[in-house]
Amino acid sequence: MRSIWSGSIGFGLVNIPVKIFSAIHDSTLDLDMLDKRDHSTINYARINSNTGKVVPWANIVKGYKYNDEYVVLTDEDFEKASPEKTKLIEIDEFVKAEEIDSIYYDTPYYLEAAKGGERSYALLLHALKQSGKIAIGTYVMRNKENICALRPYDNMLLLLKMRFAEEIKDYSDLNIPGQGNIKPAELKMALSLINQLTPKKFNFGKYKDTYDAELMKLIKLKAKGSKIPQPRFKIVHNKTKDLMSQLKASLEEKKRKAS
Amino acid sequence: METSKNKFTNLDKIFWPAEGYTKGDVINYYNSMYKYIIKYLKGRPQSLFRTPNGIKDKGFFQKDAGEQAPDWVDKYPSWSDSAAKKVNYLLCNNKPSLLYLANLGCIELNPWNSTVAHPDNPDYIIIDIDPSENNTYDQVIETALIVKKILDKGAATCYCKTSGATGMHVFIPLAAKYNYEHARTFAEIIATMVQHELATFTTLERSLSKRGKDHIYIDFLQNKIGSTIACAYSLRPRPGAPVSTPLEWSELKKRLKPEQFNIKNTTKRLEKKGDLFAGVLKKGIDIEKCLKKLSA
Repeated sequence: MRSIWSGSIGFGLVNIPVKIFSAIHDSTLDLDMLDKRDHSTINYARINSNTGKVVPWANIVKGYKYNDEYVVLTDEDFEKASPEKTKLIEIDEFVKAEEIDSIYYDTPYYLEAAKGGERSYALLLHALKQSGKIAIGTYVMRNKENICALRPYDNMLLLLKMRFAEEIKDYSDLNIPGQGNIKPAELKMALSLINQLTPKKFNFGKYKDTYDAELMKLIKLKAKGSKIPQPRFKIVHNKTKDLMSQLKASLEEKKRKAS
Repeated sequence: METSKNKFTNLDKIFWPAEGYTKGDVINYYNSMYKYIIKYLKGRPQSLFRTPNGIKDKGFFQKDAGEQAPDWVDKYPSWSDSAAKKVNYLLCNNKPSLLYLANLGCIELNPWNSTVAHPDNPDYIIIDIDPSENNTYDQVIETALIVKKILDKGAATCYCKTSGATGMHVFIPLAAKYNYEHARTFAEIIATMVQHELATFTTLERSLSKRGKDHIYIDFLQNKIGSTIACAYSLRPRPGAPVSTPLEWSELKKRLKPEQFNIKNTTKRLEKKGDLFAGVLKKGIDIEKCLKKLSA
């Protein structure tokens, strides 16, 4: 694994040097667009909407539409607006995990103790474990201010990039029903269904993204020139359904006559 | 060999010109296979398919025992739709009867799916996988494996055998708990699901002219009284003298060829593998439970 960033955690008076690694890998297949006639790859071109001509990268700038006029931003402007480039994850406070709704969590990263940081890393990890709390901190990465949570995961520190409160959309215009019309009997049934579907121990590993694996299998077969096997049956279509209910009814009839 | 009752005739007659196998070879085969094949014949009216001049001749069907049949061969009178009259079916209940049929030139044996003890209740369902000339045996195997997969989902056991010709038969044990109509409807459900899965090269179209020229016919209509197909361990009047051979599901692999199993090696295979089809006549499936699982 290659680290994507190295810096340190500011925890009280100590700085803990760490390396950051991405904790996830993108599981979707990288598909290219092709011309079906000769399998040439498709290129994007940047077209001037006025002249219809291709614009070279060097002539492209970014702008923001403000009062119907574009304000063009230069690299310098971006630098000026960026918060100071620090290499520090500054822990501001500690909170109970349940105080933070999961809607705020974004991407997870692994933290590795860098040279010299081993003891304080272990100290922070174990203190977090014992207190049952998570650390909330801020840091700057890729010219952007970030908020994050640090929490124990297995035997390491996990950094969870978080969303700022203003990134979460308002939902007051959605139609959400109140709980006025819930009948006690229905609630009881729903609760018993929940109980039935609650495993003794949840095994997350059993949920697998099989689509990409199947797609890859198919790609390999196609590459070899083999015939593609058909998908496994899932949907029982209408004729089968009709036959099934017909047969069920007939079997029940037979039973009734026999008894 | 049982010779006390039978008088064997023309034992040297060549039945398979290319291979040189004779009528005597057929009688010898059934004599040595008796202990295995009798289970699948006993009590079941036979539709005779007689090929007394060997495989190059078209042969003919015969249901009625007729005048010549000896007294010691059991018979079962029953209405035949195709003959449109009451016929005396022959029953193959013992070794002399089996060899009598062989001596009549029955290379192939075609018993009913039910026994005379309960003629309206078949002991098993048959899904007959019948390919066109343009299908590969790999496709036949693929189809059989989908039948198996669907029945697995329904927690229903099933067994497969080569037809001895170009196809394959999947048998689902019923232990005579259901009538033919229920068996056939269940077979139609399974066949429909299989066809849905393998829509590109399978069909449920009965009419040959309407059927695609490169489609496998999944035949569920064999599940009716008086319908017959070649039973397990039956020889087939085809080149190479193939045998309709029960297989382990794990044997269904690419490049399997039905001609691999023939008059020459079947007894040896049976000594090694035993009767893989025995389960067909044992515990039957519960159709209602199976439907529940399939529609889940």
